Amino acid sequence: MAKKISVGIADMKIARQEGELITYALGSCIGISFYDPMIKLGALLHIMLPEKSATDSNILKYADSGIRETLRKLYAFGAVKKRMVIKIAGGAKMFEMKGPGGLGNIGERNAQNVKRILMMEGLRVSAEDTGANYARTMSLDVATGQVYVRTAGKPERKL
Amino acid sequence: MAIKKYEEMNALELDILKEIGSIGGGNAATALSSMMNAKVMMSLPRAEILGFNEAIEKMGDPESVVAAIFVEMSGEIQGIMLFIVPQTFSDDILFRMLGKTGLDLLELEEIDTSVLTEIGNIVISSYVTALSSLTNVEVELSVPQFTVNMLGGILSVPIAMMGQHSDRIMMVTGDFKIDEKALHSSMLLLPDVESLNILMKKLGVS
Repeated sequence: MAKKISVGIADMKIARQEGELITYALGSCIGISFYDPMIKLGALLHIMLPEKSATDSNILKYADSGIRETLRKLYAFGAVKKRMVIKIAGGAKMFEMKGPGGLGNIGERNAQNVKRILMMEGLRVSAEDTGANYARTMSLDVATGQVYVRTAGKPERKL
Repeated sequence: MAIKKYEEMNALELDILKEIGSIGGGNAATALSSMMNAKVMMSLPRAEILGFNEAIEKMGDPESVVAAIFVEMSGEIQGIMLFIVPQTFSDDILFRMLGKTGLDLLELEEIDTSVLTEIGNIVISSYVTALSSLTNVEVELSVPQFTVNMLGGILSVPIAMMGQHSDRIMMVTGDFKIDEKALHSSMLLLPDVESLNILMKKLGVS
């Protein structure tokens, strides 16, 4: 069994060669896995909101600053953009919300912005499981690059 | 002094929220008790300022499957009320109300989810009614929504809402027990920061 490395909300972990990066119960948040198969370097990022506000210093909380920070670290560790495999999961709409702040479709906005930022960084999402109304647990096996997603009451599946 | 972030709240302000939780929860327990014809107890409420991950850990295993009734508050107080119903509590309610046993949360039928939603709705309304008359604020409640999902995913909704301005959130929680049995269900009051200031002002604290 590979060693499990848990990634919390507004958090990111990197592993090389072996280990299982896992983030639990993504609701409207998004899990983004980054993997360079050549050097078996992987990262899992768990973002919560689409765009960083100027005053907040917690960069891993947001899609834009979180993705950029993760890429900065991965490139520093030797990852190459061309080889990078990126998968995303989450962005569910857990409840219908009408309240102020436009939080109603936060999951959808997160997913859109994650894809937009990745595109701006010259990266493509190779697989995704986003939207709908259920929570997802996402994991990345750093030894193989395999990404798994599980939801309540359904068997785990490969992404 | 106005509160700008949850972590700026002092002990007195947290105590006041605990008291609100106690009065709201007491009222909700009474409502639950008369509906279920059973003795319902409410634990001492807690008002805590927690990190995102800490808040989920406090509530249980993020992957555990629970039912939740979700109501949005608007008007003078804005935020979210959540009533979390774990499997054991659902079993007990559905047995008492419908005489059904052994229903997995993931296999509930429409009648079962309506019963749970209605119970959640009444519990939340009684809680908010008490809060509103105590503090003399107008609160409107949205139509209740029901979900069965992973606990962590459910909690990510208020966390995303409250986490827009801060890395910590504040929640007022309390547990219900039926007939002395440790069948916990939890009630969460999650007001936004501006609402806290309104509450404190109405109660003459700030």
